[in-house]
Amino acid sequence: MVLTQKLHEAFKGTVERITSPRTVSAFKEKGVLSVSEFVLAGDNLVSKCPTWSWESGEPSKRKPYLPVDKQFLITRNVPCLRRAASVEEEYEAGGGEVQLDNEDDDGWLATHGKPKETKSDEDDNLPSMDTLEISKRSTIQSIPTYFGGEEEEDIPDMAEFEDSDNVLENDPAIFQPLVAQEPDDDNILRTRTYDVSITYDKYYQTPRVWLTGYDESRGLLQPELVLEDVSQDHARKTVTIEDHPHLPGKHASVHPCRHGAVMKKIIDVLMSRGVEPEVDKYLFLFLKFVASVIPTIEYDYTMDFDLGSSSN
Amino acid sequence: MGEEKGAILQFAPFQSHVDEGFWHRLSSLKLNKLGIDDSPIPITGYYAPCSHAQLSNHLSLLSESLLAESSELATLQPSASNRNKCSVPGTLHNTNTLEAYLNIDKQSLLSSEAKKIWDDIHSGKAVEDSTVLSRFLVISFADLKRWSFYYWFAFPALVLEPAATLINIKPALQWLSSVEAESLSTACNEWRNSSSTADVPFFLVNIASDSSARIRHLKDWETCQGHGDKLLYGFYDPCHFPNNPGWPLRNFLALISTRWNVERVQFLCYRENRGFADMSLSLVGEADISVPPGWKDNRHVPNAVGWEFSMGKKGSKCVNLSKAMDPLRLAVSAA
Repeated sequence: MVLTQKLHEAFKGTVERITSPRTVSAFKEKGVLSVSEFVLAGDNLVSKCPTWSWESGEPSKRKPYLPVDKQFLITRNVPCLRRAASVEEEYEAGGGEVQLDNEDDDGWLATHGKPKETKSDEDDNLPSMDTLEISKRSTIQSIPTYFGGEEEEDIPDMAEFEDSDNVLENDPAIFQPLVAQEPDDDNILRTRTYDVSITYDKYYQTPRVWLTGYDESRGLLQPELVLEDVSQDHARKTVTIEDHPHLPGKHASVHPCRHGAVMKKIIDVLMSRGVEPEVDKYLFLFLKFVASVIPTIEYDYTMDFDLGSSSN
Repeated sequence: MGEEKGAILQFAPFQSHVDEGFWHRLSSLKLNKLGIDDSPIPITGYYAPCSHAQLSNHLSLLSESLLAESSELATLQPSASNRNKCSVPGTLHNTNTLEAYLNIDKQSLLSSEAKKIWDDIHSGKAVEDSTVLSRFLVISFADLKRWSFYYWFAFPALVLEPAATLINIKPALQWLSSVEAESLSTACNEWRNSSSTADVPFFLVNIASDSSARIRHLKDWETCQGHGDKLLYGFYDPCHFPNNPGWPLRNFLALISTRWNVERVQFLCYRENRGFADMSLSLVGEADISVPPGWKDNRHVPNAVGWEFSMGKKGSKCVNLSKAMDPLRLAVSAA
């Protein structure tokens, strides 16, 4: 970890310990959330998008200012059918995106940019050759770098053991999709999956998104490889790899330092169109914005309300 | 759609997933509490109905699958029912050495786990608490010097002999009338949204002559009989394949044929899209079962299968977490 990042973490941790959590709403003024507003918005997300649920996480990591059973939000086994980098190539060809922050070049994208919409129906069945190349390369990398690295020789290869000796199963009622569907067929896209979680960041007073990636056989992806599924504008700047506040291990996270400012801009845009944003919809707006950072991870943030497009 | 009449009904195997947190907790349990005690440990697995047309769900082990050191017992699992985490009872056999791991008598472990399922079917316990039908077991060896974990799952399934034959299987939307499909979707969403039923993975569907659908508990089987209503045997299907039911149906069929003597079964593979009932992804199938001779006698335990395939063949999986767990490496990466 870079020294400055470590220093900042230490500073942030100290501030979080000695300050009390926000109780007064500053949602419209600053784009931030109080703890109770986070719980309110989370409850609304869970009820509208039931693939999301509240969890309590590691008992030792519980935050006293959040309810025990509502420490963070998570949605598991979310498909990511192709790498963000390849989508961007097509996307730029189609006209590019709208930046909210041209003056200081933060690279945050407008929520109305449409990376999800641009990847039309064909992505299900007709992966482009670029996508295949990228996904192949990354699968090959992931095994030696994460699962053992230089100590590889020490780890016995399970294939040598032939430990299926005392398992004699020959049952015609078993459907074998892996054997049947993947006979060296290069047209099958290796689907990655993600567990996406949202925690409350007390320092920045905003939600924070965490990504845990898995390869096509549900093996853990090295967090660095997760960057391939992050929009390249953000991959090196705003997505960092840190300890998860409620789960064990290192996970990739969209750094929340600009979340408040971006949310404030989104809220201002809505208000200028005559839409009064409600605080319990915060996470829908937030996830819509996060979709510009991770355009190919298909988590659910179904919109069932007017986003302010009426003036169009 | 569907398969040729008389074909053997084939079930898509359950797939396992182990969260990193599970290995962290197992390691600390092993170091701080268990020592060399290698007796079987009760664990809880979690699964949910398939919720994406191209992706099956897994049976997952998370850190809360293992009860941690006793002080945490009281505060553990405060959210009793979580619709995305339907709990399934399992058993972990964690050995002390790689040799012991490789020499485990897998066949007899599987048989003894299958016998528990069989006994629960005969005693009626499986009707009261249907989660026992999906009972599973895991063998593992935790190499804490190298932070490597070897493991293999088994999802025991009682083998019907002769095998069930498939009459037809198709999307529920094609099998039901549009009024029935709408009523069933509403009923399923209510079942999944109620905290008392959200994680009950096996159920009965009653469709009355006026096309209205109701979902009932297995223990209400008797009251569903004799009205001339359609009766479907429903289960949360973790698999996404368009022509095959998922693994949990296997032991459910064993229950249906032994306990209720049903020979032609209409089943509902319940699947969702974005967390809501989806009748075009859900399947309705029809199958014939002939109750195997001897099944009435609970002393006769049927054969069982269920060791997991990984990448198309049977064998252990191994994960190395030295990067996340080895104190030396953590110190180096933090410096």
